[in-house]
Amino acid sequence: MTLTHSPAATANPDLDPGQSAGSNVEHGERVRRKDGDLILTGRGRYLDDIELPRLTHAAVLRSPHPHARIISVNLDAALRMPGVVTALSGGQAMPLAGPVPHYYDPAVAGERTAEFRCLAVEKVLYVGQPVAAVVAETLHEAEAALKFIEVDYEVLPFVTDELAALEPGAPRIFEDWDDNVLIRSAFAEGDTDAAFAGAAHTLREEIRIQRYNTAPMETRGYIATWGLDGVLTFHGSSQNPHPLRSNLATSLGVPETKIRVVAARLGGGFGHKFHGYPEEPLVCVLSKIVGRPVQWLETRSDSMLVGAREMVHHIEVAFEDDGEIVAWRNLIHANIGALGSMAGWGMSFVAGMAFPGPYRVKNYDVTSLAIVTNKAPWNGARGYGKESAALAIERTVDRVAQELGLDPVQVRRRNFIPSDEFPYWTAAKRLDSGNYDGVMDKVVELAGYDALRLEQVSVRGEGRLFGVGVAFELTPEGGDFPGDLVRGFDTSTVRVDPSGDVRVLTGVTSPGTGNETGIAQVVARELGVSVDTVTVYQGDTDVSPYGYGNASSRSMNVGGGSALLAARDVKERLALAAGVLMEDDPAALTFADGWITTTNGHRMRFSEVARAVFTQSIAIPAMNQPQLESTRTYGPDNLLHVPDEHGRVSPYPTYPNSGHIASVEVDRDTGVVRLLSYAAVDDCGTVINPTMVEGQFFGAIVMGIGGALWEELPYDNSGRPVAGTFKHYLMPRTPDLPEIRIGSQVTPSPFTILGTKGAGEGGVAGAVACIANAVNDALRPLGVTAHQMPLSGPRVLEAINTAVPL
Amino acid sequence: MSTTQPPGSAHAHDELPSSTVTLIVNDQPRSARCPDRTLLVELIRDELGLFGTHAGCLNGDCGACTVNVDGRITKSCLVLAPAAEGTTITTVEGLGEPGALHPVQEAFWEKDGFQCGFCLPGQLFATIDLLDHEDAPSDDDIRGALAGNICRCTGYQKIIDSVRCAAERTARTPD
Repeated sequence: MTLTHSPAATANPDLDPGQSAGSNVEHGERVRRKDGDLILTGRGRYLDDIELPRLTHAAVLRSPHPHARIISVNLDAALRMPGVVTALSGGQAMPLAGPVPHYYDPAVAGERTAEFRCLAVEKVLYVGQPVAAVVAETLHEAEAALKFIEVDYEVLPFVTDELAALEPGAPRIFEDWDDNVLIRSAFAEGDTDAAFAGAAHTLREEIRIQRYNTAPMETRGYIATWGLDGVLTFHGSSQNPHPLRSNLATSLGVPETKIRVVAARLGGGFGHKFHGYPEEPLVCVLSKIVGRPVQWLETRSDSMLVGAREMVHHIEVAFEDDGEIVAWRNLIHANIGALGSMAGWGMSFVAGMAFPGPYRVKNYDVTSLAIVTNKAPWNGARGYGKESAALAIERTVDRVAQELGLDPVQVRRRNFIPSDEFPYWTAAKRLDSGNYDGVMDKVVELAGYDALRLEQVSVRGEGRLFGVGVAFELTPEGGDFPGDLVRGFDTSTVRVDPSGDVRVLTGVTSPGTGNETGIAQVVARELGVSVDTVTVYQGDTDVSPYGYGNASSRSMNVGGGSALLAARDVKERLALAAGVLMEDDPAALTFADGWITTTNGHRMRFSEVARAVFTQSIAIPAMNQPQLESTRTYGPDNLLHVPDEHGRVSPYPTYPNSGHIASVEVDRDTGVVRLLSYAAVDDCGTVINPTMVEGQFFGAIVMGIGGALWEELPYDNSGRPVAGTFKHYLMPRTPDLPEIRIGSQVTPSPFTILGTKGAGEGGVAGAVACIANAVNDALRPLGVTAHQMPLSGPRVLEAINTAVPL
Repeated sequence: MSTTQPPGSAHAHDELPSSTVTLIVNDQPRSARCPDRTLLVELIRDELGLFGTHAGCLNGDCGACTVNVDGRITKSCLVLAPAAEGTTITTVEGLGEPGALHPVQEAFWEKDGFQCGFCLPGQLFATIDLLDHEDAPSDDDIRGALAGNICRCTGYQKIIDSVRCAAERTARTPD
């Protein structure tokens, strides 16, 4: 099955999604987005659109210092400001809320940890850390009052550079640690030293990926309403409402049954809306104090405090004359900022775990250090360290090709894990399935790779800097991390009403990707009804079963999988009833097009049978559970936490992959990179809805392109973040991009019930690596490399200027 | 990310220089009294209750708050509410409704030109404005027309496919 996305392909009436609405769905059908008409007409309700009576607004005073002791906080003047309802310092908040529970506590992994309060108490560790809060009748009044809070700080020495943080005399971020290293993750196989000693060639590079995040168009926001009945209702832009509920209960010291978390419609997530932020318990405490609903909205500049991805790879590769890579050695320094309780630090682990990518390399020794500094903490960011690993892996594969004078496609083919060697073990992964050569074949064709190389020869002949980039991405997905509320399974309920309408209540949430459409398709197909009669409920902890929400491209694997199992249960009960009513063998009935049909052609409407189960005693004599409802939990089979005889585990069950080819031209005078063409082919296993999967892939690719060329969250020498608006943080815009062409290969996972591998995250890593390779290919005639991301004009020009003049 | 005040709660309004702004919104005469510093996007959302217009940056960078003011597409976070006195405004709620979508909305649904939907009002207004001026826009025209509207979800490709689809249909059925 090959799906190529181009204007011509989508013009095919057979693929026209408008034609399919309302009809039965098969896997792979282009059903259009559920609730699309509501969203298109401004009727979608996001967090800031929720109207509550007597709502008040919170604003947060943030530390202006990267490291300082708080001597005193005086709220008196702020409390006298117009409209102010209350103000709160860290000391006052202490008895009202315990530490913010970690998204995934490093202590669970046997590492150091640290506690973070909703407002800083004794010390601030980064510019932007919450220090005090004001609640007022309007947001403007709350913000105005912040200026009247007096905080006396004793400024302390700070460190924002990860190497400086490793120095023996460096300021320590956490006084009870003896250095600034949170965790040292090691991944090794084979005998790397011997492989290096015996290899024909070796080379070494230093490759840096910058601090940047995901910048969803809707920032975060929370509304806490603590009722007089003691029930806390928390509306939040959260990707994981159930774990957030559990953590709020812990932090606030109230029974979990007294908390309801409702995740509003999300304006994008990408990891930015994983929980663990100080403002989560803060709004709850404030609501309890004022006895009214309290809303806090993240400003755009607040959102740019959140870090991710900043890593340096000190990487070496050993290889033979024919391009065979025999060993990798890599020391990763990840600058994770001041840790925090969010989900960011784990990216340093995954960046190491992802080695050796899609390659059959039997010797490697990779160590990743998560280093704490006085920068703001990370949260998870789409790619979750896999983009960093792919950049380092794919840049070194290209360097190998360059050293040997081989084609980079050829070197990749030489080293791919062959498709008959799956499942394939590495130190911390068991790869489920794959056909990497097949993906590479397709992307070479789609990109017109050979023609691009010919074009390169002629353009270079004119003295211009034209580059072709190749990259291959392997994306571990669906992570399961026992010990905390980050799991690889999920739960769905399927319920059929007397009307025959179907409800799916699932623990998987949607950050705006559209997985509700895919889950509805799976259930509709199983029950043989129109997808329009299936409604998916997500995000309300009083409605859906406990689940882990949205992360790691898990939604179809486990949300779709559990919904499928529940739908099968319900179908079985309907079949029993239909069998009685139509006097036929339940196992011989066909469910299709809203009808249940017997072998001899008798049929009843699905809705008639559903109603009969509720209303006709005759319909249910053989059924011990006449309710048309089932709740099932599902997780993929390929999760292995007990080390095997080689000490190997696999916390990720599925491994989508993709091939990417781009061409660029670099302006020699300015360093500005112009992206000329982009083609990519992905394999995420079975595809439920090609339109949605394409949409995810396009979005991921462009997020990768943005990170490769423009997006950055730099700090100045005084330890302050520089970017606070989209004038500094440069997002990709339409004129920056060429037509992006994508294709698809389907290699189902043998370990998931639907054969899916997960779509959503895949594409970021390949795009980062592909652009880096294209730009460096363009710079080849100058004999220079650009290995500090992003490859913005000034940075590429810096590399150009290191060239020895001819 | 904007907000002044829930409708009906006039607390701060008495203490600040304020105006009554009268305008036509989605064919309806509307008026609201608000502080002079109120942004048009705040007036639209918080005073008029039209939450379909979104605020993504309050800085004119992202375009999510785009509306049509007297025939010109306008980032409503860059206009003070009193400056909109006497204008005629269309917000996304005025373009179409479920069951009776604007052709551009239809094209965006069919070609999946949105995911989370947050930036969508701006993309729709930019597209409609382009097609009002260009019957057969080139790819460069389309990319130029959308330059002021950031989308994080889609990577723009399906937005551009949607604009092409809308352009073809508009060309086919001139009104």
